[in-house]
Amino acid sequence: MIATDLVQVLLSGIALGSVYTLLAMGLFLTYATSRALNFGQGDFLALAAFLGMAGMLAGMPLIAVVIGVAICMAALGMLIERFAVRRIISRSKAGAAHLGWILSTLGFGMMLQNVIALAWGKSRYYSPPLFSSGEKQLVSLFGAGVFLEELAIGAAALVLAGTMYVLLYRSDWGRRVAAVSFDRHTAMLLGIDVKRTVMWSYVVMALLTGAAGLLVGPLSSIQSHMGMLFLLKAFAAISIGGFTNPAGLLIGGIAFGVIESLSNYVDSTFGDLYPFIIVLLFLIVRPMGLFGERKTDVR
Amino acid sequence: MNVKRGIGWVIGIAILALSAQAVAENVKVGVVQALSGPPAIVDFGESYLQGIEAALREYKAARPKHEVEIVTYNDEANPQRAVSLVQRLISNDRVSAVIGTVNAASVVAFSPILQQAQIPVLIGPSTATDITARFIAQKPSYVFRCSMVENHMIDAVLDWAIKRYKKIGLIHTTSGYGMFALAEIQKGMAQRNVQLVAVESGAPTVTDMTPQILKLKNAGVELLLVYHDSPELIYRAFQKVDYKPAVAASWGLSSKMTVNVIGKDAIEGAVMAQALDLNNAKAKGFDEMMTRALGDKYRWPVVAALGYDAMRIMLGAIDRAGANAARIRDALESTEGFAAVSGIPAKPFSATDHECVDPSQVFMGVWRGGRVVKLDN
Amino acid sequence: MFANQALRPWWYLLVAVLLALLPWASPNPYYVNLAQEVAILAIAGIGLNILLGLSGQISLGQAGFFAVSAYGSALLSLRLGWPLAASVMLGVIMSGLAGLVVGSIALRARTHYLAMVTLAFGFIVGILAQRWTGFTGGSMGLVGVPPLNWGDPRSAARNFLWTAAALFLAVQITSDFVMQSRSGRVLRTISESESFAATVGINAAAWRVGAFVVSAMLAGLAGALFAHQSGYVSSDAFNLDRSLAMLIVVVVGGLGHRYGPVLGAVFLVAMNQAIADLYTYSNFIFGALLLAVMVFLPDGLSGLGALVRRKRPASLRRNEAGPGAPGVGDIVNLPLIAVARGEPLLQLQQVSKSYFGLAALSDVSMTVRAGTVHALIGPNGAGKSTLINTICGLYRADSGVIRLAEHDITQWPAHRRARLGLARTFQNLQLIGGLSVIENVMLGVPDRGGVVKAFVSWLCGRPFESEQRARARALLGFLGIEGFADVSPGDLSYGHRKLAELARALAGQPQLMLLDEPIAGINEEESRLIAAGIGRLREAGVTILLVEHDMPFVMSVADEITVLDYGQKIAFGAPDAVRANPVVVEAYLGVETA
Repeated sequence: MIATDLVQVLLSGIALGSVYTLLAMGLFLTYATSRALNFGQGDFLALAAFLGMAGMLAGMPLIAVVIGVAICMAALGMLIERFAVRRIISRSKAGAAHLGWILSTLGFGMMLQNVIALAWGKSRYYSPPLFSSGEKQLVSLFGAGVFLEELAIGAAALVLAGTMYVLLYRSDWGRRVAAVSFDRHTAMLLGIDVKRTVMWSYVVMALLTGAAGLLVGPLSSIQSHMGMLFLLKAFAAISIGGFTNPAGLLIGGIAFGVIESLSNYVDSTFGDLYPFIIVLLFLIVRPMGLFGERKTDVR
Repeated sequence: MNVKRGIGWVIGIAILALSAQAVAENVKVGVVQALSGPPAIVDFGESYLQGIEAALREYKAARPKHEVEIVTYNDEANPQRAVSLVQRLISNDRVSAVIGTVNAASVVAFSPILQQAQIPVLIGPSTATDITARFIAQKPSYVFRCSMVENHMIDAVLDWAIKRYKKIGLIHTTSGYGMFALAEIQKGMAQRNVQLVAVESGAPTVTDMTPQILKLKNAGVELLLVYHDSPELIYRAFQKVDYKPAVAASWGLSSKMTVNVIGKDAIEGAVMAQALDLNNAKAKGFDEMMTRALGDKYRWPVVAALGYDAMRIMLGAIDRAGANAARIRDALESTEGFAAVSGIPAKPFSATDHECVDPSQVFMGVWRGGRVVKLDN
Repeated sequence: MFANQALRPWWYLLVAVLLALLPWASPNPYYVNLAQEVAILAIAGIGLNILLGLSGQISLGQAGFFAVSAYGSALLSLRLGWPLAASVMLGVIMSGLAGLVVGSIALRARTHYLAMVTLAFGFIVGILAQRWTGFTGGSMGLVGVPPLNWGDPRSAARNFLWTAAALFLAVQITSDFVMQSRSGRVLRTISESESFAATVGINAAAWRVGAFVVSAMLAGLAGALFAHQSGYVSSDAFNLDRSLAMLIVVVVGGLGHRYGPVLGAVFLVAMNQAIADLYTYSNFIFGALLLAVMVFLPDGLSGLGALVRRKRPASLRRNEAGPGAPGVGDIVNLPLIAVARGEPLLQLQQVSKSYFGLAALSDVSMTVRAGTVHALIGPNGAGKSTLINTICGLYRADSGVIRLAEHDITQWPAHRRARLGLARTFQNLQLIGGLSVIENVMLGVPDRGGVVKAFVSWLCGRPFESEQRARARALLGFLGIEGFADVSPGDLSYGHRKLAELARALAGQPQLMLLDEPIAGINEEESRLIAAGIGRLREAGVTILLVEHDMPFVMSVADEITVLDYGQKIAFGAPDAVRANPVVVEAYLGVETA
């Protein structure tokens, strides 16, 4: 392997991994507050990408596109929490296997997917570049070509993971999330507005997903069907990192992206197989992820 | 006596007249296509269906002999669903004939059922090589196809390629289509005593093909054969690793959606096998008609044209045969004097050949200025 | 479902007859085909229902097990010419083995990590099926797989339906039995708390893997049927969509409900057909329906019946234990370990336990003598709970030796200790919400095998597991709560729940009972009842080690007292001696007012 090749492959992997990291942070947050994952999160990503594309094509300035997408995503986050999650999690009894949220959020995502297909069709598209016009979207880094968006998404993942870390461990909001995550009823007794905390976690999830969607649009082609694919990879990332802290998600996400890239370089015939074998082996050794700690369910 | 005979004649003529009236039958044609799922497949399914619907619209507008309706189902490119839907078409909707589908596995799965039920099927736009050949020995075979055949296209591409390039590489998808193309290309190369210098693949779940393209570049590939559902990812990676090989591809690259997503300049010069020459007047007329009717939604001239021709062949057969499935089969086989917009000949089928496109009608197309045109040799 | 369980065999017979008549009831062969699909999906669904609905383990990789058997059976019959009966059976066994492997490697993974493990398994099988074309035919498929038609191609659809329906009915009956008998109770218990399950002698790991194997075999049976349904097997049939379809079947049908899978299968097949020609809006319709079912029917379609039916009035009559109530002697019999009264039964030698470098127990040695009531007291944080958990095996001691009678149980897992006659109650109650009170108590009754006998009795509509049931009822009667036998524990008062837990602990005929704060949070009358009960148990030869804060209670029931403070034993002796011990007084004064 030539050194510049390695750099090129690693950079590609890091860019992909950053997308997974952003999605994984969303999974992590909603899991913390509601013990539910949004199985429609991938479709959120697709919608953000299409909205971003529509905005850029309409000639809106970047900042307006970002704000517009953020507003739409936040609204969607509220909607899914209110209509697909709230009733289901509020009646789940401790211990009883209520997995209604898997299908309700999956159903919500399918509806979004259909809306995208109706609005834009079922084909593939590229979003126009966010930061440059014409040819100059490529920069050279250690002899390897990199798209500006690839750098941007890497930076976004790093900054947002850092911000999340600070918010979770240093802010009031973080304390509320931690309290709700620990126990809903205790949190309620402490005077925390549990409903609001849960709702906001869905809003933040949607915003993180929106950021990933905006950046992935110009990077990889987009299509109404793409959601589940990204969601599953984000899920693999969070399984490596563990449902415990944003640093783990960053490591898990980047690791999965790099493994994917490397295995496509080494043997592309089974390029999609190796990452999942590695995740499987990893989970045999560390069944609760990198930073997950094993809790005994002694009460 | 004479009076009686006269009355008999009158009654006889009346019955004949009435029955001539009654010959106008209701005929149902089942259509199975992949209309949701991976974009590459849906582009095929929707485009072919657009052609079918356009042909039916024309037919209905021209005061037809029979009342024909289509029953369209979405098989989601899932063979099991396709089988179930074909069974529904046969037993529940009682169709007289079936047209479909994209996915080779679905076609392989449902063809024996239709053959057994003695319902003619016009396969398209699936290209997998030996589909009609599997049944041709059964007299009569109910399995026809109106689409390109993969090994015809691969032969055309390889004949073109080996004359011009020494170092030929391949990138293919790992889906059923890609694995099939890989085997056919390797077979075709072996027949021509040449070897691929590099073979890379990209699973449908792969969203960045930089690593594969790097390796192709390192192998010094001059001509890259692209048999992948997402050629835009390949072109994207070309840019990143600063690499510009010549490209020859499956006919998937001829969709207008690919030029939208790859860019007019980047795709310029890429070649693929074709069976629709837009310089031909009839093809041009069809292209304009479809653009008028569907606008942006019309995106794949060659596939839509094949769907259009397939339905017209079917409607012609129905005109001659009515609703009886066996008679439709016979009429399909004996179709003559057909005026196709695509490269389909005037007599598409015979008792020994159920493929409507023959190798001689396959030519190389090339992207020039945002349009696929016939490549001059 | 059965108003009268004596009717059970007749009901199944009726279903069998109806299924057999199905081909004639269907307007055209297409409906026969749909019925085949429902049967196949329902069989796989029942498997996932046992795994997810009962044992609480999620699987997003059922398509993998489905594929293993589909290929196994298809290839054996196609390439080696095996008869279908044999190839299907071996295919199912192969899926079972895959289940054993996945279940074992997933043993330490829970919830989402388990979902990932199974998801990865499904992907790996799917990818191999697609790429290993020389063996599996890949996406283009295996053609000419012998169809299951009893050698009669003209009646193929009917014969296949009969086969699939018969297998479905057999699987459904078995699943019904599981849900109503001990194995179902055990799985539900594991699903709620594995630690608790261990303390009633359940080997949770074995049961979890077992659930995986069973669900894999049922997915495999469905897969083998699928392979021989149309004679064509393509790798496109084994993708994530199929695993998700199985999940939709069980969750929409109603997780853990007996008829959930079949309801879900009917729903899914009907939905798929309904949206086949509405392709423009199919995802929207399907998605909206999933959302609506989940939001409005928490128990899925199985909950539909409950919405229609009037809510059953909970029979909360309280029956006092009448004069006919059994005596202690009838309940506590058959000692498992023969240790003479007064001899050491439980011995701890220098047991230490620390978490994250923080010592919770240091060098604790103590002896509990057979037939005594031994109290363990100490201020908050003294290590009492840790000690109880270390004795019962939920925690493993870092060092030291624990002996029960002549056995060194230091390294034994909790379920093995429980089987030796070590029962416990919990400070925070552990009753399984999905089970009635009497079923909770029956959990404690040791399993004496006889599954086949129970199954036959059950199937014939005769009483089954009657011995366990009678014993549990007697125990509830003994504690005066027989009237609540068929109530869900959630509907009981706190005190009654404590009593129910005590009954469950007693059901195992324990030699040594560990009672963790038996009277915390209950009223005086009930605590007097419990004190009296403890006295009677001691008379019957049961040894009791209890942790309790209520000093008057401890002083009134205990024969000997051990005092812990900061993880160390600071005193031991008779109640009066301990009360007078200045060290103890100081320890208590230092923390809380004595």
